[in-house]
Amino acid sequence: MNKVCCGPGYASPIEAINAPREKLLYTIAIYTGTGIQKPDYLATVDVDPDSPTYSQVIHRLEMPGIGDELHHMGWNACSSCHDDSSMSRKYLILPGVRSNNLHIVDTATDPKSPRLYKVIEGAEIKSKADLSGPHTVHCLGSKIIISFLGNAKGEAPGGYLQLDKEFNIIGRWEHSMGGIKFGYDFWYQPRHNVMVSSEWAAPNTFMPGFDLEEVGHLKYGRELHFWDFEKREPVESFYLGEDGLVPLEVKFHHNPDSTHGFCGAALSTNVIHWWKNSDGKWQWEKIIDIENEMHPEWPIPLPGVMSAILVSMDDKYLYLNNWLHGDMRQYDISDPHNPVLTGQVYMGGLLGKAPEVNGVEVAGGPQMFQLSLDGKRLYVTTSLFSTWDNQFYPEIREKGGVMLQIDCDPENGGMKVNPNFMINFGKEPNGPSRCHEARYPGGDCTSDIWL
Amino acid sequence: MTKYKVTITNRDNVEYEVDAKRPILDELRNQGVDLPYGCKYGGCITCAAKLTSGDVDQKRQVALNNWQLDNGYVILCVARAKSDITLEIGTESHDKLYRNPFLEPLKSYQLKADIASKEDI
Repeated sequence: MNKVCCGPGYASPIEAINAPREKLLYTIAIYTGTGIQKPDYLATVDVDPDSPTYSQVIHRLEMPGIGDELHHMGWNACSSCHDDSSMSRKYLILPGVRSNNLHIVDTATDPKSPRLYKVIEGAEIKSKADLSGPHTVHCLGSKIIISFLGNAKGEAPGGYLQLDKEFNIIGRWEHSMGGIKFGYDFWYQPRHNVMVSSEWAAPNTFMPGFDLEEVGHLKYGRELHFWDFEKREPVESFYLGEDGLVPLEVKFHHNPDSTHGFCGAALSTNVIHWWKNSDGKWQWEKIIDIENEMHPEWPIPLPGVMSAILVSMDDKYLYLNNWLHGDMRQYDISDPHNPVLTGQVYMGGLLGKAPEVNGVEVAGGPQMFQLSLDGKRLYVTTSLFSTWDNQFYPEIREKGGVMLQIDCDPENGGMKVNPNFMINFGKEPNGPSRCHEARYPGGDCTSDIWL
Repeated sequence: MTKYKVTITNRDNVEYEVDAKRPILDELRNQGVDLPYGCKYGGCITCAAKLTSGDVDQKRQVALNNWQLDNGYVILCVARAKSDITLEIGTESHDKLYRNPFLEPLKSYQLKADIASKEDI
């Protein structure tokens, strides 16, 4: 029976899947590091095929200053407070990785034209919580927690900032970081009292750019951490070794009863799967291993660099990217121990397999993506992080990023690029910008968690 | 108060005076120079510029490796002038700031100071 309630989000993943189709999405676009002295901005994209402005940027909200490097975003509220009628999914939180500022944007008053509601200054966060390098935003009932990758000086491991629902700083969320060396992404599964966090590197290490040698010097992470969510402290860590170099995105199944979760180890280009066994012990295994590829002119085999993963709302498919190889993949994870490759498309990348898509030369490779709640439309962007883009894809300075849409078949598997959708951020009014993470006003596959 | 002269070669050799005790980024921005920046604590490289003559004190920077330092880069948000200096600014000066780590791996002495090997080539 459908539970009718007036809080944000949906009563269950099934209700989310059956929600109305997305008509707008928001993506951030950056000028930081591009040579264009303009603020980063939040772009509103028309994704309604019946609209005359379909596949266009229809609004741009500039941040107040330059140099933020907007990156990931998160909602003030999600399905975790579906039962709380005093809450609504009204504000999008846009952290600036470099500036440390948190921008609170009202997307509800006029969804097509979001407006800036409040800025929490980076200096205030440094002085009150000794944190910098904000990354992942999750709502937590009526509160918000944000992972920060460094202390005020940019040194690892950072910690978690907690905000109240009026966006005041409460302070540090965690009671202890235990022996954790680095921070990055996190996801929680409240019915199992667990949070899992992953490891990128200290802001002072990853912000200036990527050096392979620094991985060998243990400047990048290779562990996953399991937390006692109520006690707010890590209780168990898995050393992933060479199979888990630079473990980035963390996703649990959407089904709140499930203990299965996944992490993409970016540099090893592997998917790590974990679950709780019948003895109540957490287990992990590598379930996907993308082989390095030889580039004809390069001395070192090229890893895929799996910078993101996503689990469909029905928990049937896992999507991943190979930013340097240039392909997006879809795996059927109905049996999470034995994933089956069911779809693959190329866009950009360094191997030259799809230099042009829908008539536009693609600089970069598939990088961030957001799936529609019904699992049929995957929106993909091509920029990773300004300094890393500048190292691997220097032509992105002139060409900008793109957003493409892949049609996905949730029944039988399969992916193909939608020929009618292409947003070329190389043609933005202030010059080529780079789009990154995307979110829908009604919630999405990378935010909502059920209690 | 000690002042030094900053000449910006890729802005028509315009000259500015800066206070030796304050970050060059702040000093130039206060005089209207449009400069990129990000973290403002010397960690993120966004404000890197190329020093073509003179000396700066940038011991607070933690973004640059030895290869970038050898190429003359300075982190303006924490660097202070120690003499009259000449700079190239903005991303036009970044031609030797970024490299593809798979195409041109660093030698051990070219890494950041805390992990670089001491011996020279």
